[in-house]
Amino acid sequence: MIMKKLRNAIIFIIIFLIIFFLINKILRIVPNAISDFYKEPKNSLDVVYVGSSNAYAHFNTVLAYKEYGFTTGLMASDTQPIQSLKYLLKEVKKYQTPKVYVIDLGHIHHYKNDDVGAIRKIIDEMPLSFNRLALTKKLLEESKIKKKDYINYYFSFLMYHNTWEYIGNLKRDNLYKGYLLDRLTIRIEPQKKNDWNYEVSSLNKVQKEALNETIEYIKDNDLEVIFTVPVKVYDKKTMGYINEATKIIENNNLKIINFNTCEDFEIDYSHDLYNSNHINVWGATKFTRYFAKYLDHTYNLDDHRNDKKYSSWQKEYERFAKSLKKLTGEDIKNKDFGKVSQ
Amino acid sequence: MILTSLTFLLFCVITLLIYFLVPKKCQWFVLLLSSIFFLFYKNFNIGTFFYVLLTFLSAYFSALFIERYINKKHTKWFLVGGIVLILGQLILLKYVNLILITISPIWHLFGKSINLNIFSPTAPIGVSYYSLIMISYIVDVYRGMCKAQKNPLKCALFMSYFPILTSGPFIRYPDMKNKLYEKHKFNYDNLCRGLIRIIWGLFKILVISQRLAIFVNSIYANYLSFNGIYIFLAAIFFTLQLYTNFSGSIDIIMGVSKIMGIELPENFHSPFFSKTITELWRNWHITLGAWLKDYVFYPLMKSNIIQKIGTKTKKKFGKKVSKKITLYISMLIMWTLIGAWHNGAYTFIIGSGILQFIYMVLEDLLAPIASKVNKKLGINQETFGYKLYQCLRTFLLFSFAMIFFRATSVANAIDIIKHMFSFKGTVLTKLFSLGLTKANFIVLIISLIILFVVEYLQLKGSVTDIILEQNIVLRWTLLYLLIFAILIFGMYGPGYDQTIFIYRQF
Repeated sequence: MIMKKLRNAIIFIIIFLIIFFLINKILRIVPNAISDFYKEPKNSLDVVYVGSSNAYAHFNTVLAYKEYGFTTGLMASDTQPIQSLKYLLKEVKKYQTPKVYVIDLGHIHHYKNDDVGAIRKIIDEMPLSFNRLALTKKLLEESKIKKKDYINYYFSFLMYHNTWEYIGNLKRDNLYKGYLLDRLTIRIEPQKKNDWNYEVSSLNKVQKEALNETIEYIKDNDLEVIFTVPVKVYDKKTMGYINEATKIIENNNLKIINFNTCEDFEIDYSHDLYNSNHINVWGATKFTRYFAKYLDHTYNLDDHRNDKKYSSWQKEYERFAKSLKKLTGEDIKNKDFGKVSQ
Repeated sequence: MILTSLTFLLFCVITLLIYFLVPKKCQWFVLLLSSIFFLFYKNFNIGTFFYVLLTFLSAYFSALFIERYINKKHTKWFLVGGIVLILGQLILLKYVNLILITISPIWHLFGKSINLNIFSPTAPIGVSYYSLIMISYIVDVYRGMCKAQKNPLKCALFMSYFPILTSGPFIRYPDMKNKLYEKHKFNYDNLCRGLIRIIWGLFKILVISQRLAIFVNSIYANYLSFNGIYIFLAAIFFTLQLYTNFSGSIDIIMGVSKIMGIELPENFHSPFFSKTITELWRNWHITLGAWLKDYVFYPLMKSNIIQKIGTKTKKKFGKKVSKKITLYISMLIMWTLIGAWHNGAYTFIIGSGILQFIYMVLEDLLAPIASKVNKKLGINQETFGYKLYQCLRTFLLFSFAMIFFRATSVANAIDIIKHMFSFKGTVLTKLFSLGLTKANFIVLIISLIILFVVEYLQLKGSVTDIILEQNIVLRWTLLYLLIFAILIFGMYGPGYDQTIFIYRQF
C-alpha cells in the first residue's frame, strides 16, 4: 500500500514536471538568435558565432549557407555582457562540434550588467543546466540587481508566466537561422568613419578577467577560434579596449581580425549602416560574403547544399530572400546587391 | 513571511521534514522553534520581543495563579490582572492613535494640540490574534474548562503556533491542547488533503484576489474620475478580493496544519450564500464571532449594568422591548469591538462594526413586517428566485459597508459613496484600461464562477472529499488544471505586490 502511494506520488510529480517544462517553453514567446541556435540538430553546425548584436545583425547565416554551403549558429544576444563568453562557449560545446568558433568583440565595453534585459536575453534561452546556473550567478553578482530579485532569474517562469495573453499575437518571424532582417536593419543612416586609433586603454578588472578566462577555456579545450572586431563607429575608448584585447589575444597565439583595419574589406559608411553600432542588410551582405569566403577557404568547411538533412537552411534562405524583396524591393540574387567594395 | 512566497514554502517544507523526522515526543518542540522563527522573522527587535514576552508571562502566570487559588476570593483579580496586562499592550500597540484622534477635539477646546505621531511602535506579527487567544486561555482556566499549562514552553507554543499568526483562525486551549502536544504520525491522506487545501488557497489569492486588487486599487486611487458604475463595481470587487484573500490565507494555513495532523477550526462557510447579514456573519470569520460571543457578548448580557438597564426598561416599556434594548446595547458594544479589532481606525469601526450592527437590528425589526408583506403579496419565500434575491441583497449590503473598510478615512468613504451615485460620463468604456486587460477579465470571471461553484458544493459537504472520491485520471486532471491555472494565471513574480495581504495587518 505504501509503495503504491509512493509510486503514485512520483508519477504525479514526473507528469507535473513534463507539463511544466512544456508550458515554460510555450510561454517564453520572444525568441532571439540564441533560441534559434538551440533549434539546430546536435552536431550540425560548422561555425558558431558568439557575441552581441553585431553577430546577429552582421553575419547573414543563410546567405553564407547559400553561397558556401556551411552552416553557422549564432550564440548572440543584445548587449551581451562580456562575462558570458566562457559560459556560452561551454554551452556551444555541449550541443555542437563546430570546426571554428568566431568570437565577436564588439561588446567588449558591455561589462556593467545594468541592463536587466541583456541578462535575460541570454539565460532565459538556455535550457536548465549547471552552466546556466553558473552564468546566472556570475552575471547577477556583477550587477546592481537586488538580491531579493535573484530568484526571478533562476526561475524564469516567475517572469514569463503572465505572457499567456500574448501567445499567438507575438510571432517573431524576422530571424533567419539567427540573422535579423526587419524594418530596422533595412534603414540607411549615414555615419562618419573614425580612423582607427592605435592607442591602448587599459581593460578593467572585469573585462580582463572575462577575456583571460575565455582564452584559458579555449586553450584547455583546444578550440579553433577567431576573434573578430566588427565594423561600426567606435569611440576612442572602445578602440583602446580593443587594442589591448588584441595584444592579449595575439600574445596567446590566437587569431584576431579587425574588419575596421582590413585592407581588402570596406563598407560604405554613407549607406551600409542602420545606426552607428550596426551595419544594415546591404552592409551585412558585403560583410557576410567577405567573411564567409575567408572561413570557407581557411577551414575547408563542408558544403551541405546537396544534403537533404540541411534542407531547412535552403528554406530559410528562400524565406529571407522573399522578405528582403518585400521590405526593400531588391533581389538578393542581383549580383550588385551588397557588392563588396574593393 | 508572506503566505504565497517561496520563503514560506521553503519554511513549511523544512518544518514538515524535521517535524516528521524527529522522535514523536519532540514534535511539539519543533513546532515551538519554527513558530518562534516565524514570529520574529525579519521583525526582531527588543520592542517586539518585549511585547510578546509580556503577553506570554501575563497569560502563563495568571493561569497558574488562577488554578492555584481557584474558588478563593482574590482569584478574580488574577484573571482581571492578566486580561488588563494583555489588553493594555494590545491597546498600546494598536489603538493609541485612535484614542488620540478621539480626544484631540477636546484637547483643542483648551487651546492645545496633540502630536498624533507621538507613539508608533512596531507591533509583533499576529498581535491581534495571539492576544485574544491568550485572554481566552486564562478565562477558560478561570471557568474551569481546562487546566493551566504548567510547562511554559508548551504554553508558548499554544500562543505562537505559526499557522495562525497571519490570519487566524482563533484557537481555544481546551480544543487544541491535545492536538498540539500529542504525537503525530505521517499520514498520506492528511498530506493529500492538506495539499489540496493549500492549492485551493493559492488559487483564491493569486488568481482571483490579486487580480481583483489591480482593478480595485485603480478605482479607489482615482475615484473622482470615474462614473458611479465603476465605483459600484469596485465596491463589489473589493468584497470579493477581501474574501478570497482572507479565506485563501486560511486555506493555506489549514492545509499546512492538516499535513502535520493538527486540525484547526473552520473560519468560513460559503458566506455569500447567506440570506441575511446575521447569517453571513455566522459564516464569515467564524472564530472571531464565536470568540466575541463567548468572551464579550454573553458575559456582557449577564453583567450588572445590562441587568440593571433591563430591569429599568422592563418597568417602562415592558418585557419584550426591554429584552430588545439590552440585546441591542450588548450587540452594539460587541460590533464596535469587532470593528475596532480589525484596526484602530474609525473606518473599520464603522465598516465592519457599527454598520453591520445597524443591518442586524434592521433585519430583526423588519423581519416580521417583511414576512407580512410577502404573505399579502403572495410571494413564496422558498423559491430559488427569492433566495437568490436575499443572497444578492445581503452581498450588496455587506459590500456597501466594506467601502468604509477599504477607504482611507471616514470622509473619504463618504465621498466615495457620494460618487457612487453620480452617473455622469462614459459607462464602462474604460473597463479594460484599468490594469486588467480583456483576457484578464475573462480569466477573472471564469475563476469567480469556479469559486462560486466550489462554495456552493461546500454547503453540502467537503469538496476535498469529492475530489478524492474520483478515479485517478479525473482526480489528477482536476489537480493539474488547478495547479497550472495558478502557475500561469497567478499574479506573482516581478511586478506584482506580494504584500497585499489584507488580514495580515491585523
